[in-house]
Amino acid sequence: MSNGPIIKVEGLSKQYLLNKSAAPKSDTLYGNLWNGVKNLKNITQKKETVEFWALNDVSFEIQQGDRVGIIGRNGAGKSTLLKILSRITPPTKGRIEITGRVASLLEVGTGFHGDLSGRENIYLNGSILGMSKQEIDRKFDEIVAFAEVEKFLDTPVKRYSSGMYVRLAFAVAAHLEPEILIVDEVLAVGDAAFQKKCIGKMEDSSTKEGKTILFVSHQMDAVQKLCNKGILLEKGQLITTGTIVEVSQKYLESSHTSASSFDIELPEDHNEINGYAYHIQVEDEFSNPINEIPMGKKWQVRILFKINRNTPHFVIACGIKSMLGLAVQTSWSEPQDLNEGEYEALFGNKDVIYTEGQYRLVIGLSTEQRVVQYNEQAGIINVSDISSLNYDKRIINTKSALILNQMDVTIKKM
Amino acid sequence: MSKQDKIIIDSDLSSFFSIKDILRYKSLLNNLAKRDFLVRYKQAFAGIMWALIKPLISILVFGYISSKINNTGNTATNFVYVASAMLLWQLFSNVFNDVSNSIIGNANLFSKVYFPKIIIPLSTILVCLVDFLISLIILIVLFIIAGQTIHWHIILAPFFILLTLINGFGIGLYFATINVKYRDVKFIVPVILQFGMYVTPVIFNTKYYLDRMPEWLHWLFCLNPMVGAIDGFKYTLFGGEAIYNINYFIMSVCVSFLFLVIGVKYFYKFERDFVDYI
Repeated sequence: MSNGPIIKVEGLSKQYLLNKSAAPKSDTLYGNLWNGVKNLKNITQKKETVEFWALNDVSFEIQQGDRVGIIGRNGAGKSTLLKILSRITPPTKGRIEITGRVASLLEVGTGFHGDLSGRENIYLNGSILGMSKQEIDRKFDEIVAFAEVEKFLDTPVKRYSSGMYVRLAFAVAAHLEPEILIVDEVLAVGDAAFQKKCIGKMEDSSTKEGKTILFVSHQMDAVQKLCNKGILLEKGQLITTGTIVEVSQKYLESSHTSASSFDIELPEDHNEINGYAYHIQVEDEFSNPINEIPMGKKWQVRILFKINRNTPHFVIACGIKSMLGLAVQTSWSEPQDLNEGEYEALFGNKDVIYTEGQYRLVIGLSTEQRVVQYNEQAGIINVSDISSLNYDKRIINTKSALILNQMDVTIKKM
Repeated sequence: MSKQDKIIIDSDLSSFFSIKDILRYKSLLNNLAKRDFLVRYKQAFAGIMWALIKPLISILVFGYISSKINNTGNTATNFVYVASAMLLWQLFSNVFNDVSNSIIGNANLFSKVYFPKIIIPLSTILVCLVDFLISLIILIVLFIIAGQTIHWHIILAPFFILLTLINGFGIGLYFATINVKYRDVKFIVPVILQFGMYVTPVIFNTKYYLDRMPEWLHWLFCLNPMVGAIDGFKYTLFGGEAIYNINYFIMSVCVSFLFLVIGVKYFYKFERDFVDYI
């Protein structure tokens, strides 16, 4: 192998054209027909579009054997970068040179078909990922053993449990033998033990066989565990590259925010789904917005949401995660039937004392136990170490753990 | 695949038709075709029999109509004639329809993994071809019933089957490309096919049509690429006067290849951007 970089990216940019305002959808048949006619009339006119640069002049190099974590917030351009590197979408400007065979894993189980058996799906999925028949034949037993689905090989995968399905899908992918592996957030699925197994497998193939890995994930602990190098993107621009420790440090600093309220990124189909949350606000116990929560004080989160139509058995949930992605707490509302309108939900924290630092707010909306909206980064809360609170009797040591509340401790002479 | 594979991704590069690419993804081609074929008849009680039932019904209906109107020769021969044309037409219609829907139908694949997108319509053709080969059983049975003798020309038949595939593929690719942006294609294609069957020598032969048309319309009628394919196919099976006018026949075959070139060119012009418009 030559000594040059295995991936060389120069001045990479990707532009998307977004339609400014499509004809508003109509609720009536007549309105829809009329819109159709109007569209026909306008067919020769250029639609008004807005330029959007998902990536802007990004350049970097990756050496063979590097395990690179691509870090950044939602919309930073991480997925676009991976898509261009995997040749799924072309760049608008710039040039990339890649030396070696690339396999990309932007989704687990691409092309899996529910009606086909596990065996058939292994061959189908394997060939989609770029394996030859001989290669799959050779690794077939290994894949089956890794996925732990020996008994169900001839069952259609639609009858699999979701765990089995994911395990099988990942097992195929884990047995790819490219020189460069591109992985996007796929580890978010599957149970913790299996995730660990997968990360282990990827780590192995990188250290032992010198494979290069590009990895995107919001789970900072997974990124830090797997990667040795990092690339930080923000709003389509490259902020920094370097060792994973430096880059993730920089990321955590840059995501430091002192806002008290956040607009939640709307799902694309927000007008069609039952409802969606659009704003989240952090407040003290008297409903005043606050940027920082004094450690030990009561606080609450107010979520504004809209219900589009009658929604039975509606539940809204708010979770708190550490910046490293560890889930700390999740609370659900009582299920209830809601009709169309604007609503707000209030999640009050009375007793739990968090240690100082930043936490991510996760929100989820569901109806009849189906998820309507889920957002991993709906907002951020800051718990501050305000000195007066050090007198709070309930807090023994402000740095002892994530949760500072004390258990009841008693000592008895026996 | 060598270890020194070098991939260049450049904003200015455009993709082009490459046999090497297709061979490299041969196993994907096979597996996609296998998937479509397996899935199609899964959980259907009559299973693969449907590949026979569908064309059989058309042949019975149109064969009957044709023999009532044509009134010449014996009924069995008439049925064989209609069957041969009908099977080829259905092959064309399946390829055209399935190819034009193949790209959007498999968007979930190429929006997540790279492979030459031409693999998708190619695998579609394989599936249609298998269906066609199964339905040939009907033709063989009708041949035996009618006591039709086989001509040595029959060795040329595969060429006209191939020509039919080329027709469906070329036009289908063109529509598949439009389909990425305008989903109206889904509605237009069946209309074209429905109309097309009546301006193609399926129920009646080319002579029947041309005799009833003003002279100046003749060449227009023969611009239909399926005229050449069906007349040629009939010629290989029955010999004689199936090819009514050799010039028109050649013109029709040329149109086939012209459509193929246009379809493939158009497809590759936009292939790289499919993901952004789907």
